[in-house]
Amino acid sequence: MSKGNPERNSRVKIITISREVESWGDEIGNYLASVLSFRVVDSKNFHEHLKKYYPNLPPEPPPGEKERNIWLRKARFCFEKIAQESPLIILGRGGQKIFENHPDSFHILVVASLQTRLQRVVQKYSQEETIALRILLQQDKKRERFLLEKFDVEWKNPALYHFTINTSFYSVEKATELILEAIESFQRETRSQLGSPPRKPSIFAHPSEEEFAKLLDFYGIKWLYEPKTFPLEWDEEGNVVEAFTPDFYLPEFNTFIELTTQRQKLVWRKNKKVRKFRELYPDLKIKIIYSRNLEHIRKKLELEDE
Amino acid sequence: MSEEEFQLGEVVFSSSEIEKKITDLAQRLNQEYAASRPVLVCVLKGAVFFAVDLSRKLSFDFDLEFIALSRFRSGAGKAVIEKDVETELRNREVLIVEDIVDTGLTLHFLINTFRKRTLKEVRVCTLLDCPARRIIDVAVDYACFEIPDIYVVGYGLDFKGRFRNLNEIRVLKDPYGRSTQILKQMGKE
Repeated sequence: MSKGNPERNSRVKIITISREVESWGDEIGNYLASVLSFRVVDSKNFHEHLKKYYPNLPPEPPPGEKERNIWLRKARFCFEKIAQESPLIILGRGGQKIFENHPDSFHILVVASLQTRLQRVVQKYSQEETIALRILLQQDKKRERFLLEKFDVEWKNPALYHFTINTSFYSVEKATELILEAIESFQRETRSQLGSPPRKPSIFAHPSEEEFAKLLDFYGIKWLYEPKTFPLEWDEEGNVVEAFTPDFYLPEFNTFIELTTQRQKLVWRKNKKVRKFRELYPDLKIKIIYSRNLEHIRKKLELEDE
Repeated sequence: MSEEEFQLGEVVFSSSEIEKKITDLAQRLNQEYAASRPVLVCVLKGAVFFAVDLSRKLSFDFDLEFIALSRFRSGAGKAVIEKDVETELRNREVLIVEDIVDTGLTLHFLINTFRKRTLKEVRVCTLLDCPARRIIDVAVDYACFEIPDIYVVGYGLDFKGRFRNLNEIRVLKDPYGRSTQILKQMGKE
């Protein structure tokens, strides 16, 4: 299989893999990581990553719903930051819950029939079938309990995953190939949803935004109005205390646009927000259009030749 | 802001500077297009002066064409081509000749239009490139000058139809003196 085209998979930044014991989930994860040049996070290094941002955070959520939610927010923040530098594949560790509904994540469940997994254990560890079966069932139970108790997740619930694969029927390489196709298709679908109409009923906060939208329409540039809000600052409990919603998103160019029509004195506040945005989300493109830029555009496009 | 407030300001590029840059660009194009016969598409009206002076210095064969787009108006629907090229573009190399590339919106529209018509390369040459005003990223293959975010006129570029006939490029004076400051930073006083 050839190396993944970085453009092709540029939007999915976090892949989580949940897997049954001996379903080849780890092998697929590692292979996928080498194809896509993603970094692997597993049980061995998961806590080390967490500690970089939150030195006192335990490796798994503490008991209690409130405590769990705080832990989940912090873990999500930590791995989001890491994924901005280098995209991630997270093996296990409740990744599907940490990144539940995250727009740049893709969740995979890898399973195989009990008979298949049993054969793999017998061959790999030269175990008797009865012992191998006991180990398998114990491990499955352990994972199920870990996810239910720590993350309040029903492990095998298919609604948690974008893609489920049964390796009783596929090799590691074929399974990886199918997953890559699924990721590509997922990205295509979400991109087309982002760029599709209807979008006309948008209510603009400022007349210049409406004018700008008409300008984009004139040149056939697809746009979305305020489609996404980005957290910029969190308190100690992981609650968002400052956020930023760019005015426009141009899906064809993967670019956010922020119009600034305020008086110059107030512009610095917006500039500060944009600076923070660029620090936290360095792989996203944003352009600021100041009132003088709009004035120039008006001069050039509307007044020309009159 | 009333029209009276818009006055001609400092010279940004003199006629001799423009001529030198166009000569340099022509030499580059003479090398790169020596073996082909591209279609030069001049974008009306601003690029006419530039296209004429540039084309007189070209040593390779080319077809010269003109294109004009409808102007944006608030409430206008979509951009339409009001004056189209007459040469069949299929399998022809196209070189778009622009006066200025700023927002990238017009150029993006033109590149898309020509890419659909020709299966070959579409390149862009411009007299002025103003990346500070770019809204969408478009590739400019050849640019004579890069300018900061100032409003300029002359050598084909107009303000309300005026100033096209200037031999040099001048800034349109703004009442706050911002463009003068920027020009000082450029070493143009």
